[in-house]
Amino acid sequence: MSETPKLVLFQCQWCLFSPADQEWVDSQLPANIHLIKVPCTGRINPLYLLNAVQGGADGIMISGCLPEQCHFKTGNIGARRQLEEFSDYLSHIGYEKERIRFLWLDLQDRGIIQKELAAFEAQLEAFGPAHNLATRAVESAGGANA
Amino acid sequence: MPDLDALKAEAKRLLDEGVVEMIIGFKAGDTPLHPQPAFFKTVEEIDRLVYNALCQNNLATYLTRFPKTQKIGMLVRGCENRSVNALVIEGQHPRDGLYLIGVPCEGIIDWRKIIEKTGEEVISVFEQSDNTVLVEAKSGYFTLEKDTLLHESCARCIHPNPISADIVIGELLPEGDPTLAREQVAAFADLSLQERHAWFRQEAERCIRCYACREACPMCYCEECFVDHVSPRWTESGTTPAGMQGWHIVRAFHQTGRCTSCGACERACPMDIKMTYLTEKLNQDMRQKYNFEAGMDTKTPPPFSTITLDDKSRFIV
Ligand code: SF4
Ligand code: SF4
Ligand code: SF4
Repeated sequence: MSETPKLVLFQCQWCLFSPADQEWVDSQLPANIHLIKVPCTGRINPLYLLNAVQGGADGIMISGCLPEQCHFKTGNIGARRQLEEFSDYLSHIGYEKERIRFLWLDLQDRGIIQKELAAFEAQLEAFGPAHNLATRAVESAGGANA
Repeated sequence: MPDLDALKAEAKRLLDEGVVEMIIGFKAGDTPLHPQPAFFKTVEEIDRLVYNALCQNNLATYLTRFPKTQKIGMLVRGCENRSVNALVIEGQHPRDGLYLIGVPCEGIIDWRKIIEKTGEEVISVFEQSDNTVLVEAKSGYFTLEKDTLLHESCARCIHPNPISADIVIGELLPEGDPTLAREQVAAFADLSLQERHAWFRQEAERCIRCYACREACPMCYCEECFVDHVSPRWTESGTTPAGMQGWHIVRAFHQTGRCTSCGACERACPMDIKMTYLTEKLNQDMRQKYNFEAGMDTKTPPPFSTITLDDKSRFIV
C-alpha cells in the first residue's frame, strides 16, 4: 500500500525569515503537502481546519511566528487559543489531536520547517490515514476501479 | 416551586412604577406541557403569567430581539441569569437596562418523560409540595417523582441559583455536585476514538436541520449564521454528510466560552438529539485551561476574546 500521508500546511507569510526556506516551501514542497499561505496565523479561521479535515487531510501543520514576534503584534495570539481548542475538540469526535501540529518559528530559525514536516509525516505514516471526518475527500483510487 | 403570587406582584410593581417597559416571562400554552414565552407590557397582562417546571425555554434568548435602549424585566433561573451575564459582556444589552427577577430553580421537567408514562393526551399537570407531580391524562391519573422527570442538563446543574438578580424570589438552593455534572463528558471521553466518532456521526446525520437548537440558544444571536451564508461558503453546509457534521461541529464550537450549560438546545430538538456532549466538552476545556465558566460575572471576557502572551499551552515550544 502506498499511503503517503496527505498534509496541509498553513503558513504565515512572515514566519520564514530565511529566503531559502521560503523558496523551498514555495517551489519544492513535496506533492503530498498542500500549501495554504496566510497573511498571519490570526487569519486562520477554525473552519479552514475543518475544511482540510473534511477534505481528507491526514495531518495539518500550522506554522507561524512566535507569539511575541507576530508581524501584526497580537494577530496570532488571538488565533492560538481558538485553533488549539478546535484541535482538542476534534479529538473528542474522532480526529486525533496529534494530527494537528503547531510550529512557532523564531525569526532566527533556519532549515527547521523541512525537518519538522518530515518528522510530522513519519508520525502520520505510523498513524495511518484519517478516515473519520473525511466526508469530502475525493475517493482515492482503490477498490474496483483501482 | 416559585411563589407565583409573589412573582406577579413584583412584575406588576415593575410595570406600574415604570421601572421596565416589558417583562419577559411565560404564559400558558396550547397544552399544559408547553408553557410559552410571553412578553408582558401592562399590569393587567401579568395575570396571565405562568411559571412552573415545564417552562423549558431559556428566556435570555429573547433579549437580543429587543432594542438595547429598552428597559426589560426578565424572570431568570440560574442558567438564564448566567446567559444574561454573558450577553451583557458581549455588549448585547446594558446591565442597567435590565431588571432581573431571580428564581432559584429546582430543574426543568422533560415533557417527553411525562408522556412516556402517561401517553400524549395530558389534561393537567400539578406540582405537589412533596416533590411529586400529579398528571391527569386521558389514560388516567399518575403521580410521578419529579426527580425522575428532570431534563438531563437540569439533573446535573451546578448553579441553580440566580447569581446577580436584582431581586430573588424564593429560598436559595444548595449548589449541585460538580463531579456528577461532569460524568457525562467523562463517560464520553472514555470511549475509544472510533466509538466517539461513530456516535457523533450517527447523531449529526439524524438531524433534520430545523435549527431549533440555534433559535433556542441565547448565544446564537448572529444576524446571519455561518450555515446560511452561501457565498462564499465558509464550509460545506448542505445536507451531505460533510454539511450535517459541519453544522454540528461548528454550532457547538461557536459556543466555546459562552455556553452556560442551560440545555435549551437539547430541549428544543425535535429529533431528541442530545448535543450537549459537544458543548460540555468545550466548557470543560475552558474550565481546565483558563479557569473560566461562562456568565459567572459581567466583567470577565471569554477566553477567546482574551489576548495574553503568557498562555502556557503547547504553543510555546
Ligand atoms: S449551546 Fe445549548 S446549553 Fe449552551 S448556552 Fe446554548 S442552548 Fe444553552
Ligand atoms: S451557529 Fe454560530 S454562526 Fe450560527 S447563529 Fe450560532 S453562533 Fe452564530
Ligand atoms: S434542533 Fe435537532 S434536528 Fe434541529 S437542527 Fe438542531 S440538532 Fe438538528
